[in-house]
Amino acid sequence: MTEVIFIGLSLSSILLLIALGLAITYGAMGVINMAHGDMVMIGAYVTVMSGIWLNLNFFAAIPIAFVVTALIGLVIERLVVRRLYGRLLDTLLATWGISILLQQSIRLEFGLSFFGYNIEGLGPGLQNVSVPAMLQGTINLAGTELNAYRVFIIVVTAILTLATWAILYRTSFGVQVRAIISNPQMAAACGIDVKRVNALTFAFGSGLAGVAGVMMSGFKTVFPDMGSTLVVDGFLVVVTGGVGSIFGTVLSAGLLGEINALVALFSNDIIARAVVFAVVIAVIVLRPNGLFSFKGR
Amino acid sequence: MTSRRKIQLAAYGLFILSLFVVPYFMDDFGLNRASKYLVYGMLGLSIALTWGYAGVLNLGQGLFFGLGAYMMAMSLKLMSPTSLQQGSDKPIPDFMFWNAEPNAPIELCCISPGSYLWIPFQSLWFGVVMGIVAPVVVAGLLGAIVFKKRISGVFVSIITLALVLLVRLIVIDAQPVTNGFNGLTDLGFLTIFGYEFDPYSRQMYYLVAVSLSLVLIAGRLLADTRSSLILQAIRDDQQRARHLGFNVPMYQTFFFVVSAAIAGYAGMLFVLVSEFASPTFMDLSFSVTMVVWAAVGGRSSLLGACIGAILINFTEARVSETETLVEAWKAIIGLIFVLVVLFLPRGLGGLAHDFVDWLTRSDRTNAKTHDASSANLKREVKQDA
Repeated sequence: MTEVIFIGLSLSSILLLIALGLAITYGAMGVINMAHGDMVMIGAYVTVMSGIWLNLNFFAAIPIAFVVTALIGLVIERLVVRRLYGRLLDTLLATWGISILLQQSIRLEFGLSFFGYNIEGLGPGLQNVSVPAMLQGTINLAGTELNAYRVFIIVVTAILTLATWAILYRTSFGVQVRAIISNPQMAAACGIDVKRVNALTFAFGSGLAGVAGVMMSGFKTVFPDMGSTLVVDGFLVVVTGGVGSIFGTVLSAGLLGEINALVALFSNDIIARAVVFAVVIAVIVLRPNGLFSFKGR
Repeated sequence: MTSRRKIQLAAYGLFILSLFVVPYFMDDFGLNRASKYLVYGMLGLSIALTWGYAGVLNLGQGLFFGLGAYMMAMSLKLMSPTSLQQGSDKPIPDFMFWNAEPNAPIELCCISPGSYLWIPFQSLWFGVVMGIVAPVVVAGLLGAIVFKKRISGVFVSIITLALVLLVRLIVIDAQPVTNGFNGLTDLGFLTIFGYEFDPYSRQMYYLVAVSLSLVLIAGRLLADTRSSLILQAIRDDQQRARHLGFNVPMYQTFFFVVSAAIAGYAGMLFVLVSEFASPTFMDLSFSVTMVVWAAVGGRSSLLGACIGAILINFTEARVSETETLVEAWKAIIGLIFVLVVLFLPRGLGGLAHDFVDWLTRSDRTNAKTHDASSANLKREVKQDA
C-alpha cells in the first residue's frame, strides 16, 4: 500500500510540476496557455542540448532551462498574449498556434534543416537524457524501496511550490501580482505597472514549465510533441483545484495523482487516465469554481 | 429583401453551384480527396453553429464525429467480404476472429467479451441511423446537464475536451470490441437499394456534395429563425435572456444537438470516403484543428467556416506534395492561426461581411439587424475595452 501511495505521490508531483506554472498564468492572469506544454518540451530540450554542447550535467540544466523558457515566455507575452487579456477563449486559440510553432521550430531545427544544416540534439527524432548516478537506483525509506529519481522529483516539486508560494505571499512583487488578480484597474490606479508585472508573471510561469521539462527529461523520452498531452493534464489539475488558488492546485494534483495510481492498481493505465478525466468532468459540472477555491475571480 | 441579403444568398448559391462544377475538372482520385475536404467543411460549419451563434466553443467536436464514424464503420465492417469468410455463415470482424480464444464459438454473440454489441450492426440501416442518433443522444444529455447547471464559456470547452479524451481512451481500451488503436479498417462499400457507392467514384462525391449543400441550406435557414436570434441574445447576455423568460438551456441544448448531429453525419460520410475509422478521430489535436478551420474561415459565418476548412485542407494537400514542405506547412498554419486570432478575429467571413457592408453602404441601417457577426464583433470589442 505504501508503494501505491508513493507512486500516486510521484504522479501527483509531476502533475503539480506542470500545473504550477499554469496555475499562475491561468489562475492569476486569465490566460489559457496551450503553449505551456511546449515550454516543458523546451525545458527538456535545454537539458539535452546543454548535455551535448556545453557538457553540463543534469543539475546545471535546471537554471538554464528556467531562464530560457522564461525569456521565451516573455517574448510570447509581449507579442501575443498582451493583446488578448480578457478574451479567455482567444488566448487558448492563439497559444495553440504558438504551441504548433514551437514544436515545428524544434522539429525543423529552427528552419535550418531546409538549408541542409543539422543541429545535434534537435530535429524530429527522439532524445534521451541520462540521469546522474546519484539519482539512479532506490532509496530505502521505512522498509520500502523507493525509486530515487521519483523522490528527487517530489523534493524539487515541493521546493518549487514553496518558492512560488513565498514569491506570491511574501514579496512585494507577489503583493502586486495578487492585487492585479483581484482587480487590475484598481491595481493600475494604485500605481502598479500592470503590463510589466503581467509580463514578469507570465515569464515566471513559463520558467516553471522549463524546470518541469528538465525533470521530465530524466524519465521520459524527449521529442517535439511531448508537451501536447502534458498541457491538458496540467490544465485539468488547475481547473479541478479552483482557479486562482495555488493551494487548490496542490491539493487537486495530489487527489488526481492518487486516484490515477489507485485505479491503475485495479485495472490498467488507460482506464486510470479515463477515470481521472471522468472525475474532472464531474468536478467541473458540480463545482465549476473548483474543489478548493475560496473566492471567485 | 435587402441587397446585402441578396449578396449573401448569391454567395451560398455560388458556393453550392461550384460544388457541382468541380467534378468536371477532376479525376476519381482527386474527387476522393475533394470529398474529404467537403466533409471537413461540414465539420467547420458545425463548429461555427455553436461557436458563432451560441458562443459555446466545443473543443470536443471530435467526439460526435468519432461516434458517427464508428457507428457507420461497424455496419460496413460486417458487410466487408473478409468478415464473411471466417468459417461461419454469419459475418465476424476479422480482428475478433484473430484474437478469439481457441474454442470460442464463431458467433457475434460470444466470440469475445462485448462482441454482442455488434449484433444489431448486421443491419446497415442500424449503423446509418445510429450514426446520427448516438451523437444526438450524447450531446442532448451533455447539453441538458451542462447548460442546466448554467455552465458557460471556457468551462464548457474544458468539459467537452475532457469528454472526448475520456471516450477516446475507452475506445482504445475496449480492444476486443473496437480493435483499439488500430481502429476499423477493410470496410465494405455502402450499398443502398442494391446500388454500390465506391469511395473513388463520382457518385460518392455527389453524395457528399449534396449532403453538404443540404446541411448548408438547413444551417442557413436555422440561423435565420427566431430561435437563432434568441440564441444570439443568450450568447450576448445570458442573464438578461433568462430574465426575459426564455428557456435558456433549451435553446443552447438544441443548437448543441444540431451541431453534434451534423458532426456525426460528417463522421459517417468520412468513413464512406476514407474507408476507415480510428481513435485518432477523437484526438485533441483533431478537434482543435476543426476550431482552427472555423476560426480562419469565420467563427460566426456558416459558409465562411465551411470554406475555411476546405481552403486550408486544399492548400495543405497542394503544399504537401513537396515533401520538405509538409512540416513547414504545420508551422505556417500555426502562424496563420496566431495572426487570425490577433488581427482578424472574425476570419475570412468577417472580411467578406465588411466588404459587403462597404458595397451596400446605402441600406446599411436596415440590414444591421440581421447580421450575427457584426453584433458578435461589437461584443468582442466591448469585452476588450
